[in-house]
Amino acid sequence: MNTQVINRAIKGTGSVLREYLVLVMIAVLAAITAIVEPKFVSGANLVNIMRQFGPLIMVSLGMTFVILGNFIDLSVAGTINLVAVVTISLIQPFGQIPALLMGLTLGALCGALNSVVILTSGALTQAEALFLTFGMSTVYSAIALLYSGGTTMHFWDITKSKSVFEAIGSGSIGPISISFVIFLVLLAALWIFQSQTKEGRAIRLTGGNKTAARLAGVRIKRSIVVIYTIGGFMAGVGAIVLFSRITTAAPVIGAGYETNAILSVVVGGTTLKGGKGSVLRTVMGVLLIILMSNCLDLLGVSTYLQVAVKGAILVFAIWLDNRKQV
Amino acid sequence: MNTLGIGASLFRLATKQKAFIAILVMLVIMVFSGTEFYTAYNLLDMLNSTSILLILAFGVTLTIISGGCDLSIGGILVVSGILAIKLMDYMALSWAIFLAVLFGAVVGAINGFLVVHQRTEPFIITLGTGFLLTGVAQQLTNAHPVPAKNPAFMMIGNGTVHGIPNLVIITVVLFVLFFWLMRYTQFGRNLYAIGGDYEVALYSGINVIRTKWLAFVISGAAAGLAGVLLSAKLNTGSSIYGELTALVVNCGVVVGGTSFAGGIGGIPQSALGLLVFGMLDNVMNMLTITSYIQVLLKGAVIVAIIWLDCFGQKRRRETV
Repeated sequence: MNTQVINRAIKGTGSVLREYLVLVMIAVLAAITAIVEPKFVSGANLVNIMRQFGPLIMVSLGMTFVILGNFIDLSVAGTINLVAVVTISLIQPFGQIPALLMGLTLGALCGALNSVVILTSGALTQAEALFLTFGMSTVYSAIALLYSGGTTMHFWDITKSKSVFEAIGSGSIGPISISFVIFLVLLAALWIFQSQTKEGRAIRLTGGNKTAARLAGVRIKRSIVVIYTIGGFMAGVGAIVLFSRITTAAPVIGAGYETNAILSVVVGGTTLKGGKGSVLRTVMGVLLIILMSNCLDLLGVSTYLQVAVKGAILVFAIWLDNRKQV
Repeated sequence: MNTLGIGASLFRLATKQKAFIAILVMLVIMVFSGTEFYTAYNLLDMLNSTSILLILAFGVTLTIISGGCDLSIGGILVVSGILAIKLMDYMALSWAIFLAVLFGAVVGAINGFLVVHQRTEPFIITLGTGFLLTGVAQQLTNAHPVPAKNPAFMMIGNGTVHGIPNLVIITVVLFVLFFWLMRYTQFGRNLYAIGGDYEVALYSGINVIRTKWLAFVISGAAAGLAGVLLSAKLNTGSSIYGELTALVVNCGVVVGGTSFAGGIGGIPQSALGLLVFGMLDNVMNMLTITSYIQVLLKGAVIVAIIWLDCFGQKRRRETV
């Protein structure tokens, strides 16, 4: 009996380790970097890391729900392009708060439109959703290009007050940046939605097994609309944080966000098979990627090589995710 | 016949022969456009500029028929093109080209290992390897275009034989080769069987793992060759060409009628599907449509066609 308990304990530790591999990796990476480069633990660098919880984390939080529902969303790049150029252009005629609200609504609408396309076509697999949302991304990007005429819009061209956007971009309360506060608020809201509401559980069930979910009385169509709308809304938030930070909006600024968001969600441990995962895991995934970039930057590795390293980690994480299932 | 029946059969035709219909529509429009569309020069030029995509599509078709897909071809395309140019400085041209194609095959083998052996989801794992290779390409070139120094290399991509561009000839030869492979060999038939029903193929005694794996290797090698030819055509290697190519080619294959469900389709259909995109580009340029509208139309075409593909499958599921 004793050996049984021990065996179970060993097995348990193994699966816990695998389950929270990302946490272990974060700790190891932080330790290595701190030893190699003592500057890493300085207050300035910690503030720097906190500041990097920017657009990517917002987009990734939204992507978490899409992947939880066993779908995928490549359209966030197009959505970011569109929301950024439209929002920045609305500040002058309508004022900043209406522009902000309209931008967020536009993001949610883009997401809802994706879900309409997916639902009407009857796409059920991730591969189909991937290509449909890729097509939608191209459409959104084209609209962004047409709307802006392909030009970059700058903050300094706006004569009206843009204090809200400046605060989002570079303001801070004490040492904590405002974008980090926004992140914390949204994280809390999404976490409550995910774990404490009926709709949040419905999304999980939809992702786990669509047929079983439908037979159990879950309205899976509604779940699909909800996940894509959240995905689009969070891409909109990401777009606003992004252009506020760089104070310009070009119709191509969203490029690459879709792959990076999928990367952070999967690295965090939310499974691509759907049904299992959490926004908190995504936060860990993003933290790992930020730490990694930070570490590679401190070690003087080129940006281009960093893309390759990220790709390798993505492939490894997908492979590992798959091993967990078997 | 009642109108409902006619509507249903029209719909069936539209979902099955969507590429053919799209091409027909464009051909008819161009009759009335009053442009120089119907000239031998323009039609050859159109084929010439679609040739790279066609070669990519031939390889991808194999993976899609076997029930997978290959999104890493964009990454392979750029890296092998850059490799060929970089290696040319150290060895004979033929060796450089051979090694670049081999590189594609090796990446394909890795993809195949991960998909077939480790049973990962093909579209996401190949998206990952493609992302990785884009980083490699940027590192190799510092994100700047690298010019090729050997004029013979440029002639491969830009030369002509009796007025027909080399690339068109290479594409036609590959088309025949792939068509033969899929139609008249055991390997091709086995791929259809695997895509149609994996379990049945397994129990029929087909070596499913080796066959499917080989499909990915061939896809990678085809992408490697396409990368070399693209570099030869442009006389430069650059990391930016691959970005959307993979998704466009995979969409084009589906446009032709090869379905993600697996087991359906073929090389001629894929050629037709990619020609839709090639012709669309050509037609839009002829009609002097601005580039942003071109992007919009292309996106709309992709959504419409994948939408039809899914919708057709839904109808089939419901009737069964």
